[in-house]
Amino acid sequence: MGMGWYVTRRVAWAFFVTFIIVSITWGLLAAAPNPEVRAASTQAALEGGNPNEAREDARQRLGLDRPPWVRYVDYVSSIYTLQWGWSDTRSQPVTEAILNALFYTAQYSIPWTLLTILIGPVVGLYSAANQYSWRDHLATGFAFFGYAIPNFFFGIILLLVFGVELEWIPIIYDTDVAVFSWDNFVQLVVPVFVLVTGSIGGLMRVSRNEAAEYVNADFVKTARAKGVSIYRIYFRHVLRPTLVPVSTTLVGYLLYLFTGASLLVEVVFGIPGLGRLLFSALIAQDTNVVLGSTLFFTFVATVGNLLQDLVYTVLDPRIDFSDR
Amino acid sequence: MGIGGAAALAGCSGGGSEATETGTATETDGDALGTETDTPTPRSDLPEVGGTYTSVISSPIETLNGIYNTENTAAGAIAQTLLTTYGFKPGTRYLGQAWESLETDDGGKVWVASVRDNMKFSDPYGEVTAEDFVYQVQELQQAEWTATSDSDSWGSDTVESIQQTGEYEIQIELPEANLLYPETYDPILYPVPKGLLEPYVNEEDAEGLKQDEELNNLSFTGNLGPYKLEEWNRGNELRFTRNDEFFMREATDEFELFEKAPYFDTYRLRVVEEQSSRLGALETGDTDYAAIPPNRVSKFRDLDSVNVEIIPQPYNVPLVYNMRANGWNTGPGNLFRKRKFRRALGCAVDKKRLVKGVYRGLAEPEYTWQPRWSKWYPEEPVAEFGNPDGDLYGKEATQSRIKEAIADTDYAYQGDTLVNPEGDQVSLNLFHSAGQNTEKATAEFVAQEFSKNAGIDVRVEAIQGAQFANKYWQQEIPDNADSLEWSNGNYNAGPRTKATSQNGWDMSLVYGLNTYPLNPTTGSVFFIKDSFYNPYGYYPSWNAKELFNQASTASSEEELKSTLAEIFTKIAEDQPMGMLAFTPDQSGYSSDIVGPAENFFNGWNGDAWYREE
Repeated sequence: MGMGWYVTRRVAWAFFVTFIIVSITWGLLAAAPNPEVRAASTQAALEGGNPNEAREDARQRLGLDRPPWVRYVDYVSSIYTLQWGWSDTRSQPVTEAILNALFYTAQYSIPWTLLTILIGPVVGLYSAANQYSWRDHLATGFAFFGYAIPNFFFGIILLLVFGVELEWIPIIYDTDVAVFSWDNFVQLVVPVFVLVTGSIGGLMRVSRNEAAEYVNADFVKTARAKGVSIYRIYFRHVLRPTLVPVSTTLVGYLLYLFTGASLLVEVVFGIPGLGRLLFSALIAQDTNVVLGSTLFFTFVATVGNLLQDLVYTVLDPRIDFSDR
Repeated sequence: MGIGGAAALAGCSGGGSEATETGTATETDGDALGTETDTPTPRSDLPEVGGTYTSVISSPIETLNGIYNTENTAAGAIAQTLLTTYGFKPGTRYLGQAWESLETDDGGKVWVASVRDNMKFSDPYGEVTAEDFVYQVQELQQAEWTATSDSDSWGSDTVESIQQTGEYEIQIELPEANLLYPETYDPILYPVPKGLLEPYVNEEDAEGLKQDEELNNLSFTGNLGPYKLEEWNRGNELRFTRNDEFFMREATDEFELFEKAPYFDTYRLRVVEEQSSRLGALETGDTDYAAIPPNRVSKFRDLDSVNVEIIPQPYNVPLVYNMRANGWNTGPGNLFRKRKFRRALGCAVDKKRLVKGVYRGLAEPEYTWQPRWSKWYPEEPVAEFGNPDGDLYGKEATQSRIKEAIADTDYAYQGDTLVNPEGDQVSLNLFHSAGQNTEKATAEFVAQEFSKNAGIDVRVEAIQGAQFANKYWQQEIPDNADSLEWSNGNYNAGPRTKATSQNGWDMSLVYGLNTYPLNPTTGSVFFIKDSFYNPYGYYPSWNAKELFNQASTASSEEELKSTLAEIFTKIAEDQPMGMLAFTPDQSGYSSDIVGPAENFFNGWNGDAWYREE
């Protein structure tokens, strides 16, 4: 059995897990009172009609009088054929709402994720190499500042300074500009900066501690004695083993590539992304959107787990899943 | 024009919405309804067309389907492409839009509407005629298979019959004569093609109609609005482009600048949820309009680039007491139901200090259900509960009345503290909308005053509007609704001892309620115990139903005025809720925009606003 068989089984497992989650969701929904039925009886009462009769009519119209298994099959087939219903708070199909929001989330979450996974370990490595020096303290201070200051507050401050006072960046996010354009870069630079400073702290500290273990290891001393360049020592001999324990966090961040929506930053900068979509739907009780978003995140999380396991094998050849 | 449209019963207080049909209490005192000369200075030549007008709003628009929309902000967006039947202009004069006129010659029983003859829908629906309106009312608004947002305006209680009497003429007969029928806003309708509605009507397909692409994208609107919708980016922006064939261009008798309207190539309505971002955008010129909170007005007044307009609006700030069975959760009974107790609470809050401290002097204290600038405000003085200049405010005034009210109960005073039968201090919760700082400050002020003057502890709690609406404000329909004395929907599902909301609550500041200054009879629903809108379970101790009925059927303005004066006097005495203040909208406009005016009808000619170079 090779790696291919392992991956196949894991993908099948991912489908099974999502199927279980979809089924549980259906059970919960079926047990809850239907708002449309309630609305129908209310309307009947308002117009002097018979609320009980209206309730039965609505149940019939919505197909709730069919046997549970028929409704279940219908529901599951709708889920897997992406018929996720209509969003009452956005007046559009749920899948369209999620795709639209994803488009804007991806524009800031991709640079945010890439910068975080690039800068975090590198700054950690730099700190480890200069342990207890003023450079280490500066890097640590920077990391902790970003970690400690709330993103939305930092965002508002930067918006006031660079947007209102200096007028270097626009105050309102513009969806009209092209994705790969200078205008889009300018309007996204501050949100991405805020998010990166907020997320590199943890990664940087873990990397620093791991790297510190290897800085004075025998193989590093040997490399130095052989005259290997300092950059090669750090990036090839120290960074790589450092990344194995860090990778759990790293892969978590990789998932952010498309789904790492930050509600507060989206609100402050007016970006119509996934975070705002889900939050608004929760507040307004737009069940279809909440359900759709939850399913979407479920798919991504199960796939992400699989990716995480595979990344281990790339970073550390000693880890092998082929015999599992 | 068209921005106001259908006036909602309740709105979230605290501002933040698009400017609606409104002008100012404080600065144009006595002239808040405007005059016939409330128009921009006449020009010898028409303004140049070009550029973009940008406006910001605080929350996304849920639907552009006018048949089901109930939100003022969305109505403002729809109005950019689709004008309603009529509006009002300064001086409460009729502004003919889709209906050039709406007149009566028999004292208000039969009304005749004239549809303009230069309106057309987009292909393939053709010309707009009387038939489109009559069909919509008879087959949709009066139908039982769906609940439109205007159903109540066209039910059998409101309209006896509607029929087409010519290609461009409609006759509406009312059950009772009503001289102020247009001022009720009931006859406001969007023109919608009969051909578009027919398939849904035939199938009785409410969901299909709600989701119809043409209705949601406003693609059927032909020449019926100043702009055409180019793109609706949910949660972020609506972008409109100029409509060269706008039908109101021929209505220069209404306003001469309509001749080339609109004067912008593009209209952008952008959603910015964060208040500081909206204000920052106004300051930097990224938007031409933003609502300004009271504590920032003086700062924006100092800016050359912004004009601040203080615009009166019809919503008040009521402290609502829950008189239903799940109200008053601090002990047995429900003292809110006692008139004497409510009058005592009326004496506990200093309304002048509230207006000065929280609203920075921009609001007006409210003593009865009508702003002072309304022409229906009583000429004789009304009881002014909470006025520190009289004897209806303070600890003595409050506690002496409470002691009278609780004489037949086990509640008592221990020193200055009101205690329940168990000996614990009476403690009530007070909800306000989360994120609305002015509303929160109002709630905290009320809490301080109740503690100081009544010895009642008030716990201030923030809540999301949608959550409050669903779980606290609306009642659940009882299973035995048929057997109840009345059951009128979620806002009054039955008598207050039988129908309650899902969760208990004591007091709320979440909603401002509409006082309908143009025709206060529309607000009767707030005071009649079995009306369709009585979430708080108020039973008047005065003959509310009879008096409002008398007002609705008054045969002359004098009779109407004296009946309404009697109503407002009774309301002030009965204190159905703690009437606190009338707060105007504080609107910030770019200083180069010509058109905004500080009166109740601000925006009536918004399609002819322009940018001065």
